[in-house]
Amino acid sequence: MALARVERLTYAYPGAGRPALSKISLELAVGESVALLGPSGSGKSTLLRALAALVPHFHGGRFGGRVEVAGLDTRRARPAELAGIVATVFQDPEDQVVMTRVANEAAFGLENLGVPAADIRPRADEALAAVGALHLAGRRTTDLSGGELQRVCLAGALAVRPQLLLLDEPTSQLDPAGAEEFLGRVEELGATVVLSEHRTARALELCSRVLFLDEGRLLLDASREQALEWLAEHRPAYLPDAELDLPAPPASREAALRLQGVGFAYEPGLAVLDDLDLEARRGEVLVLEGPNGSGKTTVAKLAAGLLEPDCGTVTRCGRAAYLSQDPGRYLVCERALDEVALAVGGDRERTRAALELVGLGWAAERHPRDLSSGERERLGLAAVAVAEPDVLVLDEPTRGIDPERKADLARWLHAYAARGRAVLVATHDRGFPAHRRIGLGQEVAIAA
Amino acid sequence: MRLGPGPAAALLLAAAAAALLADRVATIGAIVAILFLVCLRAPLRRLRAYLFFGLVSSLGVMVISPFLALEGGNVLWSGPVVPVLGPLDVTVEELAIAAENALRLAAVTLAFTAYALLLDHDQLVSSASFARRSSLAVALATRLVPTLERDATGLVEAVRGRGLAVTGVRGHARLLSPLVAGSLERAFNLAEAMEARGFGRPGRTRVPGPAWSGLDRAALVLAALLVLGGVLWL
Repeated sequence: MALARVERLTYAYPGAGRPALSKISLELAVGESVALLGPSGSGKSTLLRALAALVPHFHGGRFGGRVEVAGLDTRRARPAELAGIVATVFQDPEDQVVMTRVANEAAFGLENLGVPAADIRPRADEALAAVGALHLAGRRTTDLSGGELQRVCLAGALAVRPQLLLLDEPTSQLDPAGAEEFLGRVEELGATVVLSEHRTARALELCSRVLFLDEGRLLLDASREQALEWLAEHRPAYLPDAELDLPAPPASREAALRLQGVGFAYEPGLAVLDDLDLEARRGEVLVLEGPNGSGKTTVAKLAAGLLEPDCGTVTRCGRAAYLSQDPGRYLVCERALDEVALAVGGDRERTRAALELVGLGWAAERHPRDLSSGERERLGLAAVAVAEPDVLVLDEPTRGIDPERKADLARWLHAYAARGRAVLVATHDRGFPAHRRIGLGQEVAIAA
Repeated sequence: MRLGPGPAAALLLAAAAAALLADRVATIGAIVAILFLVCLRAPLRRLRAYLFFGLVSSLGVMVISPFLALEGGNVLWSGPVVPVLGPLDVTVEELAIAAENALRLAAVTLAFTAYALLLDHDQLVSSASFARRSSLAVALATRLVPTLERDATGLVEAVRGRGLAVTGVRGHARLLSPLVAGSLERAFNLAEAMEARGFGRPGRTRVPGPAWSGLDRAALVLAALLVLGGVLWL
C-alpha cells in the first residue's frame, strides 16, 4: 500500500531559470526504507520538502504535478497539517532547534500537535531514550555539540511517531561511530524512511530501495541490488568501495609544518591537546583523524596560526591558510569574484584562474549566497587557495558534499600538494585519500 | 526554593522600569549595582560580550550627549558652533543628565543580560497564558545574541584564515553585512523547520509547568512596588 505518491512533479524555486525537480513520479510503500542519492544541487532536498508540503507552501515557486501523502494532497494540505504524519530532520541541526532545553525541544512537536499534556513528557523522554540522548534532557541546546544536537533533532521527529520520516543528510556532523549509531536507530524505527545521505555505504546497507536524482530528474528507482549494478556502471564514485587513482606519495622529506610538544586548553585545567607532535611534509596530503571532540579543529587552527599554543612550538615554512568548517556560511563579499580576490589584493587574473580550478568560472559575477551549498563550499576553497599558501589546512572539507565532489576535491588537493605544498585535512571521513593519516597522537597508516 | 522565570522576568522588567523612572543618580546607581551583582551569577565566558556592549553604549551616551544637549548655565567648556548641532558647550547640568542617562541605559542592558543568561526561556514561553507566539519570538530573538557572537567569530576566523587581518572599526564593519545576511538565512531555515513541525496549528497543548510558589507571588508584589516607587519616590 502506498503511503505517499508523487505524480509527474515539476517544481522551480521563485526566480529560478530551470526547475529543481522535473517530472518525478514515484510511490513510497508503508514501512520501506529508501536511500535518496545524487550530486549536490540535484534536487534531493527539494523532493524531501515536496513530501513535507514545504514545497510549494513555504517556498512558493512554480509547482506542477501532484504529491499525495497519507491521502492528503500537498497542494491543499499545509506543512503544519502534515506534521503528525510526516517528520523531517534537516541538514543543519543548529538551524532547526527552537527551544532552549533539550527536553522541551523533544516536546515541541507534540505540543504543536495538541497531544494531551500528560502524555507529552513521557513521549518526549521515550524518543530521547530511543536515540540515546535521554541523559541530555536537562541540558541547554546551545551547549550541545553538533552530533548531540543532531540526535536531539531526530528525537523531536520521532516523538510525534510519524508515518513518514524524511532525513536530509542527518549524519553530516557525526563521526563514523556516531553516524553508525544514528542510522542504526533509524533502522529500528519501523516507519517509512527516505534518507538523503552522502555517506553511501551505510545508506545502501540500510535501505532496500535506491533513488538517484541528477539535475532534478529521477535517473534510477530500483532495488538495492539493481542499484549497485547501475552505480557500478554509471556512478562508481557512489559505491561503498570506490577507489581513486591519485598521485604517488612524495619523495620530499622537507617539513612545511611542524608542531612540537604542543599543548592547548580553551579553559584553564581543561586541556584539549597535550604534548602533541606532528609534521606535514611538502608534497603530501596529511589527514588528521579522530572522533567528535578529539581536538582536530584545535590542531587545524594551531597549524594555521589562528590559535597560539599554551606550550610547545609551531613552525611553518612559508604561509599557511585555513578553510573552516562550513565555509559557505562565512563568505564576506557581495560577488564571488571579490570573495576570491580578497586574499590576492584584487588580482583578477589569479582570481579567475582560481574560480576556474574549482569549476566556478561561470559564477564570478554571482552573489555568493545565491550559490548552492556545494558551490559555496568550493568558493570558500578557492578563496583560501588562491594565494597558494605553503600549508593549506582544511577543517572537515567533505562535510555535506557528494561522493563525486569528494573525489574531485581529493584529486584537487593531491594535485595542489604535488606542487610542493603541504595539505593538512582534519576530518572524520575515513575514506578521504591521503599519503599519511594521524590519529591525534599516533600515526595510523600510510596510504596511497 | 527557586524563583520561577515569570516572576523573575517581572522583577527584572520592574528594575529596568524603576531605573528609567527614578531621577536621582544615587538611586539609579544602586539599581545598576544590584543588577550587576545578579548578572555575576552567569558564566563569565558568556557574560563578557553583554558587559562589553553595555559598557560601550553607556560610555557612548556619557561622552556624546553633553555635546548635543543644551541645558544649564554652569559652562565647563565652550566649543565651536556646529551647523545643525548648535554650540558644542559642556555644562555641569549636561554632565549630570548624561550620567543619569548612561546609568539608565546600563540598568536596562544589565536587566536584559540577566534575562538572557539566567532565565529559562522555555518555561517563560510555556507559562505565558497569552501572547504565546510573541513570547516565543522574544525567546528566539534572545537566543540570537550568542548565535551572532559565534557567527562573528567564525567570520573573523574565515578572513584571518586567508591571511588577512581584521582590524579597526572599518575591518569589523565590513563583516556586518554578511553577519546580518547569515542571521536572516538562519531565521528562514528555522521558520521552515517550525512550520514542518506543526507550529501554528490550532489546538496546541503544553507541558504542564510547576505551580507558583509563595516566593513567586512575593516577587510579583515586589516588582509592582518597585515600579510604584520609581513613579512616586525614587
